[in-house]
Amino acid sequence: MAVQTAELKPSVPSSPLTGFWREFRKNRMGVVGLVMLVLIVIVAIFAPALAPYDPETSEGITSRDIYNPPSTDHWFGTDDAGKDVLSSFIYGSRVSLIVGFFAAFISIVIGGVIGIVAGYYGGRLENILMRFTDTMLVIPDLPLIVVIVALTKPSLLNIIFVIGLLGWTTTARVVRSQTLAVKSRKFVLRARAIGAGTRHIILHHILPLVLPLLVVNAILVISLAILNESTLSFLGLGDPTATSWGQMLNFAFGRGAMSAGAWWALVVPGFGIVWVVLGLTLLGHGLEQILNPRLESHHLMPGRPTVQTEAVDVTGKRSDVPVLLDVRNLSIHYVGDGQVAKAVHNVSFQLHEGELLGLVGESGCGKTTLMMALMRLLPAAGQIASGSIRFGGWDLATLKEDEMAEIRWKGISIIFQGAMNALNPVRTVGDQIAEAINKHMPGLPHGVVNARVLELLDLVGIAAEHKDHYPHQYSGGMRQRAMIAMALSCDPQVVIADEPTTALDVMIQAQILELLDDLRKKLGLAIIFVTHDLGVVAEMCDSVLVMYGGMTAEYASVDSIYNAPRHPYTQELLKAFPDLSKPEKRLTSIPGYPPKLNALPDGCRFAPRCPLAFERCVTEMPRLHELNGGHIVGCHLVEEKS
Amino acid sequence: MSDEFILEVKNLKKYFLAGRPALFSRTEQYVHAVDDVDLQLRRGEVIALVGESGCGKSTLALTLMGLENATEGSIFFEGRDITHLTDRERKSTRQRIQMVFQDPYESLNPTQTIEEIVTEPLVVHGLAGDHGERQAHVVRALEDAGLKPAEEYMHRFPHQLSGGQRQRVVIASALVLEPHLLLADEPVSMLDVSIRAEIINLLADLRESRGISVIFITHDLGTVGYFADRVAVMYLGRIVEIGSMREVLTDPKHPYAQALLSVIPVPNPRLRRKRMILQGETPNPIELPVGCRFHPRCPVAMNICKESDPRLLPISETHRAACLLLAK
Repeated sequence: MAVQTAELKPSVPSSPLTGFWREFRKNRMGVVGLVMLVLIVIVAIFAPALAPYDPETSEGITSRDIYNPPSTDHWFGTDDAGKDVLSSFIYGSRVSLIVGFFAAFISIVIGGVIGIVAGYYGGRLENILMRFTDTMLVIPDLPLIVVIVALTKPSLLNIIFVIGLLGWTTTARVVRSQTLAVKSRKFVLRARAIGAGTRHIILHHILPLVLPLLVVNAILVISLAILNESTLSFLGLGDPTATSWGQMLNFAFGRGAMSAGAWWALVVPGFGIVWVVLGLTLLGHGLEQILNPRLESHHLMPGRPTVQTEAVDVTGKRSDVPVLLDVRNLSIHYVGDGQVAKAVHNVSFQLHEGELLGLVGESGCGKTTLMMALMRLLPAAGQIASGSIRFGGWDLATLKEDEMAEIRWKGISIIFQGAMNALNPVRTVGDQIAEAINKHMPGLPHGVVNARVLELLDLVGIAAEHKDHYPHQYSGGMRQRAMIAMALSCDPQVVIADEPTTALDVMIQAQILELLDDLRKKLGLAIIFVTHDLGVVAEMCDSVLVMYGGMTAEYASVDSIYNAPRHPYTQELLKAFPDLSKPEKRLTSIPGYPPKLNALPDGCRFAPRCPLAFERCVTEMPRLHELNGGHIVGCHLVEEKS
Repeated sequence: MSDEFILEVKNLKKYFLAGRPALFSRTEQYVHAVDDVDLQLRRGEVIALVGESGCGKSTLALTLMGLENATEGSIFFEGRDITHLTDRERKSTRQRIQMVFQDPYESLNPTQTIEEIVTEPLVVHGLAGDHGERQAHVVRALEDAGLKPAEEYMHRFPHQLSGGQRQRVVIASALVLEPHLLLADEPVSMLDVSIRAEIINLLADLRESRGISVIFITHDLGTVGYFADRVAVMYLGRIVEIGSMREVLTDPKHPYAQALLSVIPVPNPRLRRKRMILQGETPNPIELPVGCRFHPRCPVAMNICKESDPRLLPISETHRAACLLLAK
């Protein structure tokens, strides 16, 4: 009786907006900024209801009311005209916010259009627009604004336009660079292939991705506009009919508030400006943290979970060569939001001297997590929950960080997935290899390091003259060779190669594989080769560990894996692989997808996709069985048959 | 133009200006991305275009799509010369030729739902006016691409799907226009091996059910078996060998095709064999080698290969290769 293939959860429409709000609520700075801003907006809207006096009328004000200190009648005292400071402050918020928002709106529209047009069309148009932007950027804003406002009639509308028309330059530059980045993405090319016109592409593909940046930028432009307005009013260039915070400062300053000791007339409007600008800055910073993932922070979970896993001691003995690395019952958990995800469960294997072990499985089956645990480089949320990693007399699972630092690179080194793109573009490749040597063996004389770099380059097949070249002068294959040289720089005994040939062409892939095989023979390296490609494994590995859903599916010699596979997952993987000797054969694929870490099945993790699954597989997690010759299989079927 | 062929490419060249060797030099240098390619594709036929990065296979696809302008030569599609068309004139052709891109993680707009992505081509071409009709097209395309039931997926965003599912969305958005020719540019190279079969089988089924012709671009000869009728191997902007799938996979004549074939991993450790690993990498297509373009890397190069540039020579009625060894 077969169990139905992977069930799909009903689709839950979750728009990016609700996701954004969920993130935003967690951002303390952003929330504080938003609250500050909302408060001042409420004050501005309900000014007539909130203000105890009407600042427009001077009825009943006598000369005795000038610069009165705070009292029960006037909480923040009175100003040079005997008016209530609090009421002027409340009404003043209206002017500041109106100028801020409208001027920023003008700036954002102009800057956005110029940025997108320049970025999207490129060529001469871009050149003209961006040189114009640069020119505008170089002209100091404030003196220009002052001059223009002084020449025109100082009305609120004029001020809005002048500030708005001069404040777009940074927006244009930011938007242009984002447009350039989005334009080069593949979905824009795909839209063109569909036949979409420029207008459609800009509106549907460029704008939605530029928008988040535009929002963050708008917040900063608003605060700048508010500051500019205050400055103008303080200089006496504000609209004389509208009370703004800048104007309050101007009057207080110009009419002897300082000498009269009336600090309140200065502090209150000043506080208003600081409040709004601070609120906007916090909000802008909060938004940027969410919208710009580069600034994202890892949330650390304190404490180590106490989870006991059932210990099954099966590693299989297949060789008399000494064991270098002995991993037993290793379990790795990710802890976050109060949940524990069992990413790797009870995995054991042994790596002998000079052995090439293939670690195979689909994406998301725990291969990389397992390798990161060996290097003790798990992300903050990942923890080794149980098990041991024996290497040269130590247990790496419990070693202190400073001791582990000694073993990393000198004992075990790693070639990361996609590492060829991890070279620093502004330093020569030789320099970067030398850096790796210096870091782990400090104090070596320059000449020795240099000789070692040349030796390493020679070892991986890079001619000496390329030592002083920059990464961009290297091809993809050469960069990968350089990364291998770096991994070998401290004579490690074990090298972990995490998908070292993915994204490389077949011929270059073959070259790199040949190199690794040579190095193994020449240096006696033991290599763990992580891949999802069974063909590569068959070509060069001695033994193979097939992982599924963080567990051992099958662990055996390469011959057993290919010619006598016992686990249905291994069998299915092999069927999915194109066999050149039978090109007419239709390929089969494994329906469904690997389980998600937060929704692991109770029984066998492969059961939902397994063509041979029966009732027991759904309820009971299979044990690891050892067959003859150290062939290990984690499947109930082995038991049923024997 | 005979009606038998859906696509005929004649002497197609695409050069990119690479600049000048020196600031005041008179000569300009060109990248010879596609250099004199002839190709004919029958209705309902699948041809695999195989070669390493830099061999010009992707540029060829973009030129066929009209996303790059041809430098020389001509492209006939369904009997019509589409080599130099304005965007407006090309619109009806665009509907009939669609493309599937390599990277399903990059080729979907992250801010659109699956429904919006698949509806977009209809909107762009002003097809299927009312909402109900449009939705019916979208559902059909999604289900034909293997995303069943379509309602499960329509309201999701790309990041909620796996790589294989995303590639199916890309295929659905190409299918919704009911194209006659599909250009698939490395559609499986970014996917896990276990999922590749799924996408290749999907393309094969579409050919069966809809009679779509397919140009399948890949660097991996291993994935073309079963699915392709013919295979063309490209090197430095040229087709160096072309023939039926069986001919090229079992009896390749060009040393480059032989080498490509020999490095394909065989999933059986008992069949480990001597691989013919070419050293170095494809030379840059600015300064092309004189003579046969392959001779600097060729394991069996002769003296004459440095002087004479071979053309495609017939081996059988369907099989041709450009190697001087065959001229002997």
